Amino acid sequence: MGAPLPAESEREPAAGRTLPDYLPARMVNEYVYCPRLFFYEWVEGIFVESADTIEGKQQHRRVDREGAPMAAPGEAEGEWKTRSVTLSSERHRLIARIDLIEGEGRRVTPVDYKHGRPRETAAGLEAWPSDRTQLAVQALILRENGYECDEGIVFYQETRQRVRVAMTPELVEETLKAAREAWETARRGVMPPPLAGSPKCPGCSLHPVCLPDETNWLRGVGRDGDERQLSLFGEPVPRKPAMSEGGVRRLVSARTELRPAYLDTQGLRVGRSGDVLVVKDEDKVVQELRIHDLCQLNLMGNIQVTTQAVQALCEEGVPVCYFSRGGWFYGVTTGLVTKNVFLRQMQFRLAAEPWFCLRLGRQLVAGKIRNQRTMILRNHVEPDARLLAEMKRMAEVAVRAKSLEELLGLEGNAARLYFEAFGGLIKTGEGTDVPKVFRLDFHGRNRRPPRDAVNALLSLGYSLLAKDLTVTCYAVGFDPMMGFYHQPRFGRPALALDLMEPFRPLVVDSAVIQAINTRMITEKDFVQAGPAVVLKPEGRKAFYRAYEQRMDTLVTHPLFEYRVSYRRLLEIQARLLARYMEGEIGEYPVFVTR
Amino acid sequence: MRNSYLVCYDISDDKRLRRVFQIMRGWGDHLQLSVFECQLTRAELAELKGELGEVIHHEQDQVLFVDLGPAEGRGDRVITAIGRPYTSFDAPCYVV
Repeated sequence: MGAPLPAESEREPAAGRTLPDYLPARMVNEYVYCPRLFFYEWVEGIFVESADTIEGKQQHRRVDREGAPMAAPGEAEGEWKTRSVTLSSERHRLIARIDLIEGEGRRVTPVDYKHGRPRETAAGLEAWPSDRTQLAVQALILRENGYECDEGIVFYQETRQRVRVAMTPELVEETLKAAREAWETARRGVMPPPLAGSPKCPGCSLHPVCLPDETNWLRGVGRDGDERQLSLFGEPVPRKPAMSEGGVRRLVSARTELRPAYLDTQGLRVGRSGDVLVVKDEDKVVQELRIHDLCQLNLMGNIQVTTQAVQALCEEGVPVCYFSRGGWFYGVTTGLVTKNVFLRQMQFRLAAEPWFCLRLGRQLVAGKIRNQRTMILRNHVEPDARLLAEMKRMAEVAVRAKSLEELLGLEGNAARLYFEAFGGLIKTGEGTDVPKVFRLDFHGRNRRPPRDAVNALLSLGYSLLAKDLTVTCYAVGFDPMMGFYHQPRFGRPALALDLMEPFRPLVVDSAVIQAINTRMITEKDFVQAGPAVVLKPEGRKAFYRAYEQRMDTLVTHPLFEYRVSYRRLLEIQARLLARYMEGEIGEYPVFVTR
Repeated sequence: MRNSYLVCYDISDDKRLRRVFQIMRGWGDHLQLSVFECQLTRAELAELKGELGEVIHHEQDQVLFVDLGPAEGRGDRVITAIGRPYTSFDAPCYVV
């Protein structure tokens, strides 16, 4: 067993980190608004568009058309104006793109266009602190380039008001201090903590990445900002800490707005026309899919996609997932969306630490066993009390396991118990007997090939879940191939498999039970081929719907107590793992339902 | 959170009309001539308005956005039809 993760303050700045030459004025603005937002945008290169940023950009398109070249200091006579000027300061290593400069001889006033509205105070209208800083950076740069500047203007487009900002020595001092801190933050490469209960968070487009309230809650910081001690080494996260009255605001929307698409008719061709994917069978258009509506495109078997379509999907950040006809998951094509190299560095470093692998493995296996137990408890006709007690005990033992081998053994034993009882979860209506194909061989898991219908469905389901977590790993910035509990093996997305353990019973097993019990899938959807039982095309299509229906189901998060879909939850959990690996929170809070 | 919008346009030039139609196809279902039904987040609405704003003639053309409220749980009563039926797509995924 090694030492716990070092605290943020003790970590060495990551080696080999090179910094850009200049710090942009806009980033000083972000730093003053929220140091963590600055870190995400400047250091990690993560940017998420929101309605405000898009509207702002459109308004800027007009401002950004370059005007006449700027007059050198002292050259211009009388009043002059110029638009969209980029200047830098060598002394402070700052750079700014100035929307509008109004000059009178040597004296200039920078004007910055902002999308929102000014701050209303008792003393009248004011520029927001972060906007004031941005203007001060511009003023400093202008001064260093030989102009005189003692005032700036923010133009707020929503209310169409100009707000003047005086360049007082205090403002200049504050601004230089912020710029110095921003450089230092980037140099150290340690992410600043999230704001505590700030009203800025709901309006920030990065909150689904940042998870400010969730992270604070797990760090033990309440809404009022006072910090509590991190839970001690090895101690599980308390279920209901004292400061939960403030609660975790639900900043993340409950469901993903986008839908996955599954193409499972052999020989389909996918082309692109504008922002629409056109799916053809021979020459007949069978479906049009809007790229804006998709979160992933799944190709099951022999389906052709044009390069134009793949390019459009990459650009829009929609991954393309490839499967064999039988549901074997081959791989993913993604765009160049994640630049988060530092998280990967941390992932690789920790994957080489046996104590970390064991510590995370314990949580994952214990969570999986507890979730399997819950499945039986909820769905079995008459759950066996001894089995439930045994599984509970196994989950407790898993938390204290001494090695990965011991964990693997426990996981296997629990799975055997669980799958022996699994037949009892299948019920197809009153009076009717369970169809033969659903019970014949079901004594436990079997695969390659599956010998009964339930195993065939489970295998396909796990393949889909592995796909979803691989995609999630890419989205968060992880390398899906480098795992902790699952040791790396050729061609296996080990981290995706790690993350999926607790979700297997909740998502896949539950979708299978649901599909059979509600007769979404019936015995007619299977054919026997030698020793194997194979799903017919219509059955496969029905199962994609059953699986996605499950993914779309809202569940209550046991820690944060808000409701989110399983699809959203996968991302939240992967991001929390990143928080844990980066040392922000003391334990990985594995997802367990009650 | 997505809202449903009825987007209707009146474009006075054929070339621009075709371009507007192409853009709209990427954002919603084509219900009738010059009428689309779109389910958009605030950001998507801003993006769509931006794209259309670049194309249309601001003195001669018009695009109307009718907000029908939250897309989720909207029910079927907001849009009804006589004649050819109106159907809305409501499934967790596309399967072809």
